Amino acid sequence: MTPVQATSFHHNLPHSEPGDVKISVRGLNFWYSDFNALTGISVEIRKKAVTAFIGPSGCGKSTFLRCMNRMNDLIPGTRVEGTMLLDGADIYGQGVDPVDLRRRVGMIFQQPNPFPQSIYDNVAYGPRLQGVKKKSDLDGLVEESLKRANLWKEVKDILGRGGLTLSGGQQQRLCIARVLAVEPEVLLMDEPCSAIDPTSVQKIEDLMAELKDTVTIVIVTHNMQQAARVSDYTAFFLQELAGEPAAMVEFGRTSDIFTSPTDKRTEDYITGRFG
Amino acid sequence: MREQFYQELTDLHAEVVDIVVAVTATTRSSVTSLITGDVDLAVTVIDGDDVIDERCLAVEERVLETIATQFPVARDLRLLQSLVFIVMHLERMADLAVNIAKATRRTAGRRGPQTLYDLIQAQGNLVYRVLDATREALETRDLELARKLPELDEPIDHLYKQFFRELARLQEEEEIEWASSMVLASRYLERIADNAVDIGERIAYLITGERERATGGV
Repeated sequence: MTPVQATSFHHNLPHSEPGDVKISVRGLNFWYSDFNALTGISVEIRKKAVTAFIGPSGCGKSTFLRCMNRMNDLIPGTRVEGTMLLDGADIYGQGVDPVDLRRRVGMIFQQPNPFPQSIYDNVAYGPRLQGVKKKSDLDGLVEESLKRANLWKEVKDILGRGGLTLSGGQQQRLCIARVLAVEPEVLLMDEPCSAIDPTSVQKIEDLMAELKDTVTIVIVTHNMQQAARVSDYTAFFLQELAGEPAAMVEFGRTSDIFTSPTDKRTEDYITGRFG
Repeated sequence: MREQFYQELTDLHAEVVDIVVAVTATTRSSVTSLITGDVDLAVTVIDGDDVIDERCLAVEERVLETIATQFPVARDLRLLQSLVFIVMHLERMADLAVNIAKATRRTAGRRGPQTLYDLIQAQGNLVYRVLDATREALETRDLELARKLPELDEPIDHLYKQFFRELARLQEEEEIEWASSMVLASRYLERIADNAVDIGERIAYLITGERERATGGV
């Protein structure tokens, strides 16, 4: 493997073993029609860990996140070069069903988007699509998913109430429960806390710590304190010039990035001296 | 908000540089008091220690407040963390200077052989050199100079050992008592320089972000 020129990797990253890596990316380029948005991205997303993507607006971190479950396929004219492997299998390989991929690699968005249905039906939606019909099985799945999403205690007596009647922070956790109900292997979170109240932020950060043993988590966040609090690894993305492609400038353990980043651009950004 | 934060970092850094200057001055006074037998000067060193202690404590509190409210990271975090450790060393160094001043008080009215005074003076001069270099390395964030501190410290250790040899030549009972105070003073000077070497390591860390241990010294 050839390290990408633009990226500086910390030397003390644990030695890479195939079993540790959930998603492996080599030399990824991404295009919106003729605009090259991302260039030369190489990174290994580790299992049982939270990886945070940070960087200024427009630096391509959300674009890169959406490459991981092929959400960008939905945008006409987009194109991916390079390799992106999930458990060693090419995410963009022939015969990969994007719908099945998105079940394995679930996503949480900035704005909570529950269906206009009951809390129960929101969570049962995925399992029902997968063919789970028995009421007791669904009940079990709904309860377990809501518990994993730190929402069960608040809604266990109002499961029939509409999902949209919940507060924003509760709605976000409902969406997390909905994703967890189909037992994803990876959870992509695109600024999941930027539209919700601090108490809910706390709960979502807590549940990330609880979930990471069973689900690989990748989070895009503009909140650097949050990246420092919740993540084990941090990647810094930067588009140096408008119109130029963005790149991953630095990737390393979060503790290293926030105490001794190796790249001056990372340092300038996280210390707020950017631009 | 951020501008105030940067200003506070600058101010804290300047304050700690200033405390290094104060510790250097108090060290000079303590050595001078010992060599000239100036008890009044020794008392000013002893009384002045509270001021240095308070300044060190104030730095610590301001650092804590800044960490709590500003979420410093990277070089800002390293600077703040290093400043706390540096003031901890400075406080100890000032205490060692006080110990030297107390030796002045203990030996008041008695004079020993000039060779030992000369040794203390020579050692003191080397310590001032280390302290001046420490101040400059911190003030200008000079990595090379910070790394040079162990080298500057080495002859101080040698002079301390030489002190023992000179002490062995003394015979008279009373002179031995006097000399014990002097040898302790020499030991304190050596410890002041060792603390300065430790400060050098902190300075190197705040500049590079890499841990390094100085070699040399005792």
